[in-house]
This record gives sequence, structure tokens and C-alpha cells, in this order.
Amino acid sequence: MDQKILKKDQIGKFYNEFAGEYDFYAPINKKGSIVFEKIENPEDIVLDYLNSKVPPKSVLFPQEEVLFEYSLDEKDVEITDRQNLEQKILIFGVRPCDAYSFELMANFFSFHGNWEDEIYLKKKENSTIIGMGCNTPRSTCFCTSVGGNPFKKEDMDIFLTDLGDKYLVEAISDKGKEIVKKLSWLSDASKDDLKKAEDLAKKAEEMIVTKIDVDTIVKNLDTCFEHPVWDEISESCIGCGSCAYLCPTCTCFDVIDETDQYNNRGRRIRIWDTCQSCLYTMETSGHNPRNTKIQRCRNRIMHKFSYYPTNYDLLGCVGCGRCVSVCPANNDLRVILKKIQNIEKMESEKINA
Amino acid sequence: MGIEQDNKEIISSIRENAKNLLSENQVDVVIGYSEGTVPLSSTPIIIRRVEDIEKLTWNNLCYMNLARYLAPLMPQLCDSEGKSLRIGIVAKGCVGRAINLLAVEKQVDLDKIKMIGFNCNGIVNRSKIALEIGEKEILEVNISGNEIIVKGRDWEKRFPYDQYINELCKVCQVKSPSSTEANCVGECQELETINDEFSDITEFETKSAGEKWEYFKEILQVCTLCYSCRQACPVCYCNLCFVDQNKPVWFGKTTEYQDIFTFHLVRAQHLAGRCVACGACSSVCPVGIDLNFITRKLEKIVKERYNYTSGLNAEKVPPMMDFKMEDAQEFMLEED
Repeated sequence: MDQKILKKDQIGKFYNEFAGEYDFYAPINKKGSIVFEKIENPEDIVLDYLNSKVPPKSVLFPQEEVLFEYSLDEKDVEITDRQNLEQKILIFGVRPCDAYSFELMANFFSFHGNWEDEIYLKKKENSTIIGMGCNTPRSTCFCTSVGGNPFKKEDMDIFLTDLGDKYLVEAISDKGKEIVKKLSWLSDASKDDLKKAEDLAKKAEEMIVTKIDVDTIVKNLDTCFEHPVWDEISESCIGCGSCAYLCPTCTCFDVIDETDQYNNRGRRIRIWDTCQSCLYTMETSGHNPRNTKIQRCRNRIMHKFSYYPTNYDLLGCVGCGRCVSVCPANNDLRVILKKIQNIEKMESEKINA
Repeated sequence: MGIEQDNKEIISSIRENAKNLLSENQVDVVIGYSEGTVPLSSTPIIIRRVEDIEKLTWNNLCYMNLARYLAPLMPQLCDSEGKSLRIGIVAKGCVGRAINLLAVEKQVDLDKIKMIGFNCNGIVNRSKIALEIGEKEILEVNISGNEIIVKGRDWEKRFPYDQYINELCKVCQVKSPSSTEANCVGECQELETINDEFSDITEFETKSAGEKWEYFKEILQVCTLCYSCRQACPVCYCNLCFVDQNKPVWFGKTTEYQDIFTFHLVRAQHLAGRCVACGACSSVCPVGIDLNFITRKLEKIVKERYNYTSGLNAEKVPPMMDFKMEDAQEFMLEED
């Protein structure tokens, strides 16, 4: 039987099965913010959470990553490779929207196979995703409008459902099935457990109230590049990077060389970047094609709802609602998308007025 | 009924003044606050037509300092030639302070600005409330009587208003803009000087250097360097921030502690004697870091040394931008 039960007081035991062989990442509470970090002590794991503040993309695509280090010795340059990409990774407690974001990001990092980012793709290949359904989606969530679901299972290796004092464990991928087979101490799930999980999934889906007509938005974006709606959309934006940094699908990065010239060594790192920053498209000449926040805000929306569909036939948003809840100026993505959705209506109103 | 009634009166005075400014063609636009779409928030809004006046509001979650949109002036507030429109701006005391300071630093033209002043009754400390609620979703926040009532799916929690406003608001003495009637409609006052109170940091000051270091290290460990503190700051208007300069690179941009700490430390230094105590930096931090805490001590030093409070008028230059022969210079090395 593929469905098992993991009792909540067995999390430590579960962790011990993997620790050592895997780098075990799970949500912890860091100064009031839920973030995914490498676990040293299973008691730090927090699983009673809505969704993490910083998405788990930080595990496979950390904010700061050393590409290589180098040292100079008279004539020779010695390059040390960054990290062991063969290390097995386990990410525990991932929500369905974030699990899907790993797949989305893989598209960017492999660009139709024309170019491959070895670091991300290798890490992803060596990762096992143990996710968890969302019993209580937030009011800002809209995953069901962008192809997701609070109980979407296919992007995970193992899927857990919180049944109160225990988890229903379902092996999804072959990798997951192998692991569950090895955990022989897991007890079998009863019919009641399965029924309860089904009810929870149904209830969760009903709780998602935000509905977005993505098809119309994607279509409208094709023709509204110069539309004055962008002036309005960017009005309250203050140009910080919190939407991008806390977005599970934002993949932009900057590459920086840090030189320690006195010790004849240095390193090349990549760090998260955001299209909201004034430096993002700054050219060497000093010219910046996206010189105002109007263009920068537009880029963020276009990237997710127009360029992604064009390049990958997918939406670049998983509907987690993080940007909605963290924006300091409350520039709500749901409101922005509604404005784009109603662009034609807006125009006819203007003509009539 | 305390705060509720205050807010009603503030809203009607803001709307009336804004309406007059627009209908009498004294300003082209009014920038103010509108209701937020998620709890514990509000949205800055630009009003262009009298019909939209009702969108303007005031509640104790209007934490943004609207002067932030004046420098650098955002394109929505410029005419087709890129010149400033005539702007009405809803101004609590600290917005007024920021506008005065920006005028001193020649970043805004006061002739183009009309403040819509009112007596601010404080801003809710949203990070503190979010932290205490923890991992439960807040669905509704109301202020009634003297309580902040926070509701979720099947729970409700009440917080006493006077304890859960920003620490800065508790000691604030500039509740309405310090301005003349020429630049301000509604409530304003002409303040020469104030006795700033720094009781919010006295306890922290007694700590040893080591303890302070540990404290900063601890609070800054969740910083993601999204720069929302800098972006929300009304007096952080540099075209190219020191941290963004790459020819040469002055500071590292990694999330290693020394880089995060350097950013916050240098930003605080740039604010010494210029911070207008609005608390926007702390309010907007997505991970709830109380950033204003760092600048407060510098404000205290500037006050003690130079008896200067920023933004009380549009003439007096901040001490760190000025030089006087009689300035104390005990930090200079003696010449042989």
C-alpha cells in the first residue's frame, strides 16, 4: 500500500533516517519569519505554518552563491570549484505552490535545453521534495487561478497531509516510492485517514476566494505595452525588492567578482537581483532603457504573465500571494491583474465619459 | 469613542481640504492614503479629480511617509515636460518634517506643495502585532475605543492602542506639520524647537558595546537586503545609493553579516540629524526588523550636541551638512 502514516512525534525519527546522507532542509522560525534552513536539530522544525516568508527557492537558488574561488601565485591562477553538486538534498514541508516553482525555475535555468545552468539543475536533480498540502490557504492565495491547487501532488516526491496529530504519507514519484518502501516502520493508513485527507483537500480548495481570469490577462498584455494603465499600476510602488526576493519564481541574479588583492585571491559570486532596482538594466554607457518605476513595474508583470507564456508556454506565477502580503505600499498584484483584465472596459468607459 | 471618532474627524477634514484645493485649482493632484487591500496596510494614492476625494482616508495604518514620493519626484507627479505639478499632500507631522528637510536640501520646491495638515494620532506597530499573532492569518483589523481588534478565521485578539503604536509615536511631539499657513491648509503649527524625548532607547543605551553588537547581529540576521527601508525613507533620495555604486564597488552586496551590517550602519550615518522619526523604515520591513532603532541613537547625539531637530522649518541646515568654527572637535588628533 502506497499510503502510510507518520505520527507528528515521529518527525525526529524521520529526520534521523535522512540526516547524514542528505542535507535536510525544513521550515524553521527565525525571529518571527518562517524560512527554510538546513536542519541540525529536528526540534527546530516548524510544520504548523501557513507558508514560509522566504520561499524554499532559497535552497536550490540561494540569495548568495559562490561560483568559484581563485588564488594567484606569481604566474599561476588556481581555481577552486564552489561546491559539491552531488550532495543529496531533502526539502521537507514544501507547499504545493512552491514545489511547482522548482519546476518553473528549471525552465529558466535550462532555456529549452539551449543552455544549462549546471548548479541549479544538478541540485534539483539531487533533491527530494517532501511536500505538504495546504489545509488553510491564505486569503491572498490564488493558486487555483494559475494552474495550481492547495493539494497538488505531482511536483513532489512524497506528499503529506496534515491530519491533526499525524500525517498521511503518499509516495508520488519513483524516488518517493523507494524512500517510503525503506521506511518500513511507518504504519498503514486507514480508510478513515484517506477520507479525511480527501475532505481536507476539498475544503481547502473552496477556501481560495481570489479568482483571476489569466487567459484574458495574457491576451491583453500582448497589446497594452504602452497603455497608461502602467502609470496607475506603478503609482504607489517605492521600488524596493521585497516582491521579487520573496517571489518563488523570480530567478534574476547578478554576478559579482570580489577581489582580495592583498592576499592575491578572490571569488565570483551570484546574488539575487530584482528588475525593480535602478541598476538592473543600466548599461555601461549610462543609458537605462527602464529608467522609471513605470517601466520596472511593467516588466515584473510582463515577465510573469506574458514573457513566460511566450517562452515556455507556462505562467510565471504560482499564486502564493507573498508579494500581495509583503508589498510595503500595498501595491496588490490581484488589483494590478484586475486592472489589466478590465483594460477594454476601462477604455470604453473613458470614451463614453 | 476615542481613536475612532478622532479618525472620522481627521478623514472629513482631509477630504474637505483636498476638495477645496482641487476645486479652487490651487493644486493639480493630491497625494494621500487609501484603504489597504490586506489587513495591517494602507495604499498611497494620487487623486486628480474631485469625484475621487472619497477614496482618501486616514487610519492608524497609514505608515508610509508620503514625502517619499516627492524626492526623487515620481513621473506621475510631473507634467509632460517633466516639471513638478502643483501637489497637495496629506501630511501628518513627520510628513511635514520630511518636506521641510527636503526643502532645506533643495530637493523640493515648497511653492509647488500644499500640505494638508492634521493632528496625527499615531501609527500601529504592525510588525509587533504580526509577530505576536504568529503563524495565523490576520483577516481584519479594526480600531475601536482604545483597542486594536485583530480578527482571524476563528479567533480574535485585542491590543491596547497606546501600547501597540510605534515606539516613535509614543514620544512624538510633532503631530501636525511644523509649517506656516502659506504652505499648509488644515492643522499646522510653527515650532521653533522641541524637547525630543528618547526614552525609547534609554534602556538599550545602558547595554555594553558587546551586548549591543550581539543585539544588532541578532536582529539583522533575517535581513534580505531588499532595501525597502531605504526606498520607503523620505530623506533617502540619492540618485545612486552608495551600496549600488559599482565604479568602484564600495561595499559588498552579499547576505553575509558584515555586508548587511555595513549597509544598515552606513545608511544610519547618512541619516544622522536628518531622520524625521516617521518610522516608515521599520513599518515596511518585510521581515519585521526595527530599523529605526539604529538611527534613534544618532538623532539623540545630534540633539545633545547641536540642539537640532530635523524638519521643524525649511531653513535650518542639518548639523552634518554644515560647519562652524566653534564646533567641538575633540575627536581630532592634536597637532604636534
